[in-house]
Amino acid sequence: MSATTPTEREELNQLLRRTAREDQAAFAELYKRTSSKLFGVCLRMLRDRGEAEDVLQETYATVWRRASSFDASRASAITWLVTLSRNKAIDRLRQHREELLGDPSRMDETVDEQPTPAAGAEASQEYQRLQHCLDELEPQQQSSVREAFFTGATYNELATRCKVPLGTMKSWIRRSLMQLRTCLDQ
Amino acid sequence: MNTPIEDGNNHLRYAEYVLGVLDADTRAEVAHEVLVSGEAATAVALWQRRLMPLTDTIREVTPAPYVWARIHDALQLDAPARVAPRKGLWDNLQLWHWLGIGASAVAVALLVVVSLPRPTTTPTVVAAGYMASTIQQDNGSTGWTATMDLQHARMVVVPATPVAFEQGRAPELWLIPAGGKPISVGMIARDKPTTLTLDPALLAQLGPTAALAVSVEPIGGSPTGQPTGAVIAKGAIGAAPDAGGKVAMIGDKPTDWTSV
Repeated sequence: MSATTPTEREELNQLLRRTAREDQAAFAELYKRTSSKLFGVCLRMLRDRGEAEDVLQETYATVWRRASSFDASRASAITWLVTLSRNKAIDRLRQHREELLGDPSRMDETVDEQPTPAAGAEASQEYQRLQHCLDELEPQQQSSVREAFFTGATYNELATRCKVPLGTMKSWIRRSLMQLRTCLDQ
Repeated sequence: MNTPIEDGNNHLRYAEYVLGVLDADTRAEVAHEVLVSGEAATAVALWQRRLMPLTDTIREVTPAPYVWARIHDALQLDAPARVAPRKGLWDNLQLWHWLGIGASAVAVALLVVVSLPRPTTTPTVVAAGYMASTIQQDNGSTGWTATMDLQHARMVVVPATPVAFEQGRAPELWLIPAGGKPISVGMIARDKPTTLTLDPALLAQLGPTAALAVSVEPIGGSPTGQPTGAVIAKGAIGAAPDAGGKVAMIGDKPTDWTSV
């Protein structure tokens, strides 16, 4: 991840605050330092380069216009940015899900299915904790949570993909979320 | 979908929102709640903090340089002063819409003249500024209008009327040098303007002897580097009017200037 150390995080927070004051140099620097991460997220979810580019563009346009709503006491800049891009990607998926999924050629887009081994010293502390808590879930539930997070799929779509009833999928995910919260908030 | 019993934990819906499993309507509801309720906003922020570290495992991918150029353009961030006299033209959205709708290249040229600022204040800075092409379908109607900004090495392609494509097919734009093989310019949208960056090799081939063509290709572009599907539209490239107000007419004789 592009911002694993507290110093890096704080630098990004600063850049986003300066962007809120319409500092174009700060905005350009923020883009330089965060766009690869955000583009990776968009590409992973949308699996189409053109779509991912559009969503990335929308994301940074929103960053420029709404940077003043960033509140560092709620989330770090990188979390705020990643959330924004994920939300826009999910909205896009909801808009034309069938179009994206119905076309096998879109799956050709080179998406690295294998997660980057964010292991050892390189992984953020937050990720290590989350991984630890995910490992405590039943394997099937853990993979449902991951699938949901990385593909932006709805309950319905997840149930179809995993070939389980909708109610089963809902209870897997909900139970997992509650377990994760308990584990993470300890 | 979320009955009070199922949703015994108040914050579960916020977790589902952050995870991304809600359908479009429920998502919109929660998004609205986040805007109007501080409690909802805090709950969502907490879940973001819990779950977003998962993105640490996603491989970073550097976006193409033109994405920043598009953002820069869309937000009208500061441009170098020397292009200022042209900014009005290039950024005039109505003009682009009009370019897309107006079928006649003559009308395009005339409109550009009419909408240009009077050349009284600044001398012309750029010698060779823009080139244009009306890319026509076989039935004679305009498919797209392309305008090339040579100085900034970019091209904006505006659809006249959205052309229908079967599922899994999309338009790809080609530059055809006189007597040469087609060179891919890029995929273009069928229903909205597309901005493309022109690399030096393409830029070198642009000129009045070259042509543009659109072919039907798989979504990701021709797999061979040459057109594989039907060519559905073609157009010659002509000089577009420069900032000094002189006009190079595209394709037809100048008639009835006053009626525009």
